[in-house]
Formats: sequence, structure tokens, C-alpha cells
Amino acid sequence: MHEIISRRRFLAGTGLAGFGAFLAACGSPGTGSPSPSAEASPSAAPSAPASAEPTPAPSLSSVLNFANWPLYIDTDENDPTKHKTLEDFKAEYGVTVNYAEVVNDNNEFFGTIRAPLEAGQDTGWDIIVLTQWMAARLVRLGWLEKLDHSHMTNFPANLEDAYRGADFDPNNDYHAIWQAGMTGLGYDSAVTGELTSVDALWDEKWKGRVTYLSEMRDAVTFALGRLGYKNSTVTREQFDEAIAELKKAVDAGIVRAFTGNEYAEDLVSGNVVLAMAWSGDIIQKQLERETLRFSIPDEGGNLWYDCMLIPKGAKNKYTAEVFIDFVYRPEIAAQIEAWVNYICPVKGAQEAIKAIDEELATNELIFPTEATYSKVSAFKSLTEEEERYFDDQFATLIGA
Amino acid sequence: MAREAAVTELAGPRLGWLDRFARVFDRYLLLIYTGFAVLYLMLPIFVIALFSVNDPIGRSNVAWRAFTLKYWLDPFGVPGLFDAVATSLKIAFASTVVATALGTLIALALVRYQFRGAGATNLLIFIPMATPEIVMGASLLTMFVAIGRPPFFPLNELTILIAHIMFNISYVVVTVRARLVGFDRHLEEAAMDLGANEWATFWRVTFPLILPGIIAAALLAFSLSIDDFVITNFTAGRTVTFPMYIWGAARIGIPVQVNVIGTLIFLVAVGFVALSVVLGRRRA
Amino acid sequence: MGTFLTRHRGMVPYLLLAPGLLWLAAFYVYPAFQMFISSFWSGTLETGFRFSLENWRTYPAALERYGEQFGRSILYALAATILTFLIAYPLAYTIAFRGGRAKNLLLFLVVAPFFTSFLLRTFAWKIILGDDGVVLGPLKDLGLLDPGFRLLATPIAVVSGITYNFLPFMTLPIYVSLEKIDRRLVEAAQDLYAGPWRPGGTIVGAVVGGGLFGLLGAIFAFDVLLMVGLGATAGAVVGTGFLSESFARVTFPLSLPGVFAGTLLVMIPALGDYVNAALLGNPSTTMIGNVIQTRFLVNADYPTASALSFILMAAILVVVTVYARLLGTENASAVRGI
Repeated sequence: MHEIISRRRFLAGTGLAGFGAFLAACGSPGTGSPSPSAEASPSAAPSAPASAEPTPAPSLSSVLNFANWPLYIDTDENDPTKHKTLEDFKAEYGVTVNYAEVVNDNNEFFGTIRAPLEAGQDTGWDIIVLTQWMAARLVRLGWLEKLDHSHMTNFPANLEDAYRGADFDPNNDYHAIWQAGMTGLGYDSAVTGELTSVDALWDEKWKGRVTYLSEMRDAVTFALGRLGYKNSTVTREQFDEAIAELKKAVDAGIVRAFTGNEYAEDLVSGNVVLAMAWSGDIIQKQLERETLRFSIPDEGGNLWYDCMLIPKGAKNKYTAEVFIDFVYRPEIAAQIEAWVNYICPVKGAQEAIKAIDEELATNELIFPTEATYSKVSAFKSLTEEEERYFDDQFATLIGA
Repeated sequence: MAREAAVTELAGPRLGWLDRFARVFDRYLLLIYTGFAVLYLMLPIFVIALFSVNDPIGRSNVAWRAFTLKYWLDPFGVPGLFDAVATSLKIAFASTVVATALGTLIALALVRYQFRGAGATNLLIFIPMATPEIVMGASLLTMFVAIGRPPFFPLNELTILIAHIMFNISYVVVTVRARLVGFDRHLEEAAMDLGANEWATFWRVTFPLILPGIIAAALLAFSLSIDDFVITNFTAGRTVTFPMYIWGAARIGIPVQVNVIGTLIFLVAVGFVALSVVLGRRRA
Repeated sequence: MGTFLTRHRGMVPYLLLAPGLLWLAAFYVYPAFQMFISSFWSGTLETGFRFSLENWRTYPAALERYGEQFGRSILYALAATILTFLIAYPLAYTIAFRGGRAKNLLLFLVVAPFFTSFLLRTFAWKIILGDDGVVLGPLKDLGLLDPGFRLLATPIAVVSGITYNFLPFMTLPIYVSLEKIDRRLVEAAQDLYAGPWRPGGTIVGAVVGGGLFGLLGAIFAFDVLLMVGLGATAGAVVGTGFLSESFARVTFPLSLPGVFAGTLLVMIPALGDYVNAALLGNPSTTMIGNVIQTRFLVNADYPTASALSFILMAAILVVVTVYARLLGTENASAVRGI
């Protein structure tokens, strides 16, 4: 999910980021990968052998290998190794899900699967969960299996309209959203009052007590909003303007730091009174500081989502499709949502969740209203070249 | 410094104000300064321990709420924590033992012998300390992966151990060498004259003399190994160590149990050494 | 074995070196060489990378673009080394000479905090030093500090973080070299140079104190003259009170191998450190380690990350060599002389 990306980026270097590339190029400098152009249809990708799926009569496999982020599925309070959703799936289909919480960072995980994908081999995973921009990169590279919608009844039928038509995959042929979230303003209303405009992030009043996110797409979305642009249609010129706008706040000493999700602890302890924030975090932190608030600024907020993807060459593609369809049943989605508390992309889950917890159904941060959805938008999918330029400029901004 | 100054007391009965000042300094101020230094070192541990008996409402444990012992009664009540701690301790012990042995041998060679290639050896000792962790971790991973076969690299506790031994060696060499430099070789010669062979001389004379250096080096190696995140993360595969567990958990909020374990590791370690001091005293 | 070794004396150092050096050769040299190769790559993640010697230009380009972060790393590492020395020497001295039977226990107490996780310690410091925390809160309430004053997310926080986290690397080697000093030697020196050292101690104290504080002042952009004054005064007081001639002429020189080792063990890793700057700093306190981290992980710019690493390593080697020439040989001869 979202938070990790930037926290990790900063802190830990978690990563195996792209080590596969490192490796591949190390072993055979010069060969490189056959570079599919960004526009090339993913299905026409070079690593063809695995795409010849023998599908006359698909049958379920006995296992499904599922790589996900930690704490991202419903978990038994008494036995943390038990996940009801997975047990329900086994009870109904007889498939054992090998569930592994091994994804801690998009870049890192990409590194571990790149080498086999490039070599046209099975990664060992049937379903992986990665954030939308990484999903877009995998689509660009042609490294994903196409979802066969004829095997599915709930997906994409039950997908919330707000998530349809992603620019990198307009027909949901490759990605099925697992959870979503929004980036907005997190603030201590006792100090700042109610805030509804991104301009607050540039306000000298809270100089040194404001944090920005170190995730490029989040931070840039706010600056674009301030300038009257939208993140879904950003151009290179607009991006440059946004970086200059962010730099103003940095130079004026308004920005205390660019953070990953440490900002949440700083909000609780009072070091920070205003932060670029992720919706899910603030729900939790309100328990500890009641005056914390989350709002989507009028100028717009960033909508992000993590997707279930089937990597090219996956052994149990059909079973993976059945699982995705299973997760898109409203009652199963509600079961996951009641525990995870992000934003549920499944239609009907809001009704279904009432059976579990009435209050959750009315929580706007879990089931946003149309009005909220109208304020947020997903960041444009970038071409490889754009992505490199944007990341580079942003790195310079944050001092690295 | 202090001890030498103490001798000035003997200088005579008439002490000038400067001498009185020196005496006060010597008697108290050095100890007070040291006291503050120890306090400074212990302060975070105190806070970690304090928040191990905190009862936070939400998931973040940064503000004091209420006293509870429930997390102490159930220190491994979160999934994966026990395995992570056990793995870290295992790797820390093993890498400390191996790296201390290998490093001590190198230090002995460097200080005690003149030989060709000493300069190159010195270089090889310093460079790993100067290499940024991220690049070293990534290069090491590249190598491990090249040896293994995708999709499942043979990355496990063994690859972590190999990496930890590697980065610990340099620290051990530098620390043990500080002890060996200026080492009085007459003692060894005396032992040899008395008929001890090299082996016996080493174990009976040399080793006890450099032991404090070896202990210090082992302590450093242990603390480096048990706290390493970057290189471990690159070489771990599916293994999870204590630091990796904490970095992962920090995303949502570090569970109180992690504070309990942190406090426990500190208390057990100190208690163990305190016990050995007491036992040693009794034996003496 | 004994007879074999006596017969082949020349072999002994190589036998001692072999296991450790082979380990380093297999698991350090080889990966480091691959890293070196990758610094001559050009290309991108998606088009693949190509090796060419012409890419040597990555080096000057990287140095130029990130000169600021290099400079900052050097200053911060220097400041942290000075601070760890000022804290660790008296500490190690007290343990070595006043520790008595509790010596090992005290020593252990100094290292044990570092058996807990870095992240836990840093969060603990953030709780202690919070803007309205237990330290700053009362001072602000009393009006002694400006309400906007903060320690976190400043250069001071970054250097303090490095100082704290590298303290054992200074303390242990100094302790080790102090502990081995033959007490009879110190006693003999005390007979020889009986009495306090005046005005030598005062002068040395003032010069060293003024110099170190002045340097810290310059690094943190404090008032340098004020810092020099403060340091010189404190140094003079400490020098007068503490510095006996026997300490200056015998004990301190004998502990130099430990000081040498300690400064290297702090300075070298501190130069490449990035976590402290990432957690405790702000956008204008980033160090070269942060750049390497970001180039490598986020930008997938392996050539620049590798080139920066090699520039850093080369710089460190130069510093170490110069330092060893200045202090190393001299202190070795001083030791031999006694």
C-alpha cells in the first residue's frame, strides 16, 4: 500500500529495488531487455512462451500463491495465522491459499520478480498486490496475464464506477483493485481550525510544523491543485511549475520534513499540526488525539489504489481469476474491509458490512460519498521517460 | 588524568586554591560527568521500558496513557515477533563468534608480523567500513542470485550470516588492533624461555592479555549484527529478522510488545553480565 | 603444529590472515567489483544497461551535482566524531581506571542500549526531544525558549543522532587501549612529573577546547567567536583541573591507538550514514548516503549510485591514509619509545 512506499523509500532502503535489473544487467551488460515501447499492446509483449495458456477446460489447482502487504487482510484476533476469507475460499473451492506477507515496497518487490519475468519464467506467485503506478509499469512491460472476464461474474461488474477506466488499463484487463485510499490534509483542528484548501500547506503561520509526503505523486498533486491543474492530466510544464511551487515552501522553511508515514506519529505528539496525510492513518490516530481531522482539499486530492495482478507465466491463472472474482463478492469484500479499514472498491460491500458493524457503513473514509469521490483523482499514468524525469526532479527537491 | 592528579595531595600540607580545585575536579566532577554520560546512554532505554508498560488506545505508542502489565505477560502476542527475535539472536551470536575469531587472527598478523602485502591487507580492512550499505547489500544480493536460480533464490539465514560476518570483520580487526599495539612482547618471550611452546604461550599469555580487546570487539560485532537492517534486508529472502520486523510494523504503529522485547534484551544482557561479575567475585 | 610453525616462520602471518581475508575476498571484493562495473553503465531500467568506459563522465557529473551533500556529510561526520570523543574519553577513562570489579559490567552497560533496535531508540529520542516534550515544553513555558524553537528536523538533531548511535564505537576502543596501560608506568611517570601541569594544562585545554568548539560552531552556523570563547574557557578549566603532566605525557599518548581506532570507527560509517538524516533531518540536511539511497532505490539510477559510492570510498581512503600518517606512525613510535 501507499504509505510504505514512501516511508521505505526514505528510511530504509528497503529495497531490492530493481535489483533484478541490476542483476540482469550485471550478468550480461549490453543485452538488456527487449524494450517494448510504452504504447505497445501488452499482449504483444516479447516474453511470449507463457502466454499460450491452455484454456479449453480450465480447472482449479490445489494451491494458490498469493503475495500481499503485511496486515492487509482480515485476520483472526486470537490466531493471527488464520484469515477467514482464505478459509472460506478453501471451504468452497478446496484450494489452499499460500498467503505470504512479503510485499513491503513496490520497488523492492518489483526487483525480486523482474529477473524471472524478463527471462519468461514463472515468478512463483499467482497473485501479487502492487500500487497502481507499479501496475502501470508492469502493463507497459507486458509482464501481466490478461484476466479472462468470461471466468468471472462479480468482476468487473461489482467494481465501483469511480475506479473504472484507468488510463493504463481502461477495460480492467490486467488489474483488479484490492484496496484504495486517498491523500488529503491531516491536521490538528484544535490548532489550525477546519482546513479545506491546499493553500494551508503553504501558510507561513505553521512554519516548521508542516510535513509533506516523500511520495512524489502525493506531494505533486497538492501543488498542482494550488496552481489550478489536475493530477490526472498533468503535463511536463505543469509538473515543473508544481515543483517550483513546492520549492517555495521548502525554501521558506515551512516544510519541516518530507516523510513517509512517520508524519502520523508527529501529528499525535503535536510536533506537527498539518500534514499531507493518508485517509486510513487519520482514522486510527483520532483515537489518540481526538482533535485530528482529515479533509480532502477543495482543489483536489490524490486517489491511489493497490491492485491484484497475475504475473506473466503464473501456473494457476484460472484459480487466481476465481479468487479475484470471489473477493469481489460484496459479503467477502465487507469481511476484508471491516478489518482493513481502507477504501473498499466493491459495490454492495457498504450494504453487506452493516451485518458486521453498522458504524463502518457510514464512515466516509471507508465508503466515500459521491461528493468526496468527485474531489479526488488518480495521478496520470506516466511513460517511462516521464516517470524518470518526475522522480529525478522530485529527488532534487527533497534534497537527495 | 584523575588518578595522576590525586597524587598531588602528597605534595604537601599547604594546598593552593588551584590544587583544591584540582582535587574537587578529580574526586567528583569526573564521576559526575561520567554519570551524565551513562544517563545519556540509558535515557532512550528508559523511555523504551516506560512505553512497554503503556496501554495505548490506538496503534501508535508515542503518548503516555495508562499503566498496564498485559504486554509483559504476553510478550510474543503478535504474529512473527518470536521467530524474528530468535532468528536475530541466532545470527548475531553466530556472526559475532566467527567474525571475532577471523578478525582477531588478522589483527594479530597485522600487528605482530612484518610481511609483504600488509598495506593491501589494511586497505581491504578499511574499505568495507567505507562502503555504503545499500550498494554493498545490493551487490551482495546480485552475487547470491547469480549463484542461485530464480525464482526462489537460496536466500535464508545462511546468506544473512555470511553478510554479517563480512561487515563485522573490519570492526573486530580495528578494535583488537587497538589493544595489540604496544603489547609487551617480553611476557611472551619469558614464557617461551620457560619452555612453553607457541601454542601454550598464546593461550596462557597472549590470549588473556588481549581478551579485553576481543570482548570489546565482540560486543561491537554483536550490536552491529543485531541492529542491521539494510544489508540484512537485501540478503534475507523470506527470512524476517527483529529489525526487519520493526521496520515493517512501523508502517502501522510499532506494537507495545516490541518495546517489551527491546527492554528484555537489554535486561537479560545486563543481568547476565552482572551475574558473572558477582560469581567472579565469589570465586575470588 | 608448533614445529611446523617454527620451521616456517614466514608463513605464520599468511596463515593468520587467510581465513578472514578469503571471506572478505569472496563476499566483499567480488560484489564490490561488480558495483564498480555498474558505475560505468548507461541506460535505464526498461531498456537495459550497457557497459562503456566512456561513462567515466558519470563520476565528475555526480560529484558536481551532489557536491553539497558530500560537503555536508564530511561536516556532520566530523562534528559527530568530535562529540563522541568528548563524551567517550572521560567515560572510557572512568571505567578503565575507576571501574574496579564493575569494569566489565559498566562497559557492557555502555553497549547494551545498542542491542535494541535503532528505530526504537530514535523514536524514544523523538519522544524526549519533541517540540513540546519533557525537555523543551517546560523551557518554553518558562519563556526561556521561543515557542517556535525545535530540535527535531534540524542539523543538530541529525548530528546528535549520529553521535548517539556511534558512541560505543568510540568508547570501546579507547577503553581497550586505556585498560592495557601498565599502572607501574603511570606511577613512574607521576614520580617523574610530580604535580599538576601548569600552565601547560590550562593552555592545552584552552587551545583544544576552543578549537573543537569553534569547529562545531562553524558546522552548525553558530557564532564561531562565541563558541571558541566558550570552548576555550571550558577547556582551560578542565585542563587546569584535570591535565596532570603525567597524563599528558604518558597516559594520553598510550591511549592514542584507541583514539585512532575510535575516530575511524565513528568517522567512516558516519560519512555514509543516511538513516539519521532521513528520520531526524529536513530537506536541507540530506547527506550523501541519502542521495545514494534515493538514486539506487527510487530512481533506479544504478550507475550514479555506484559512482557516488566509489567517490565516497576513495575520499575515505585518502582521509584514512593521511590520518594514519599524521597520527598512526607517530603514535606507534611514541609507544615504542616508552
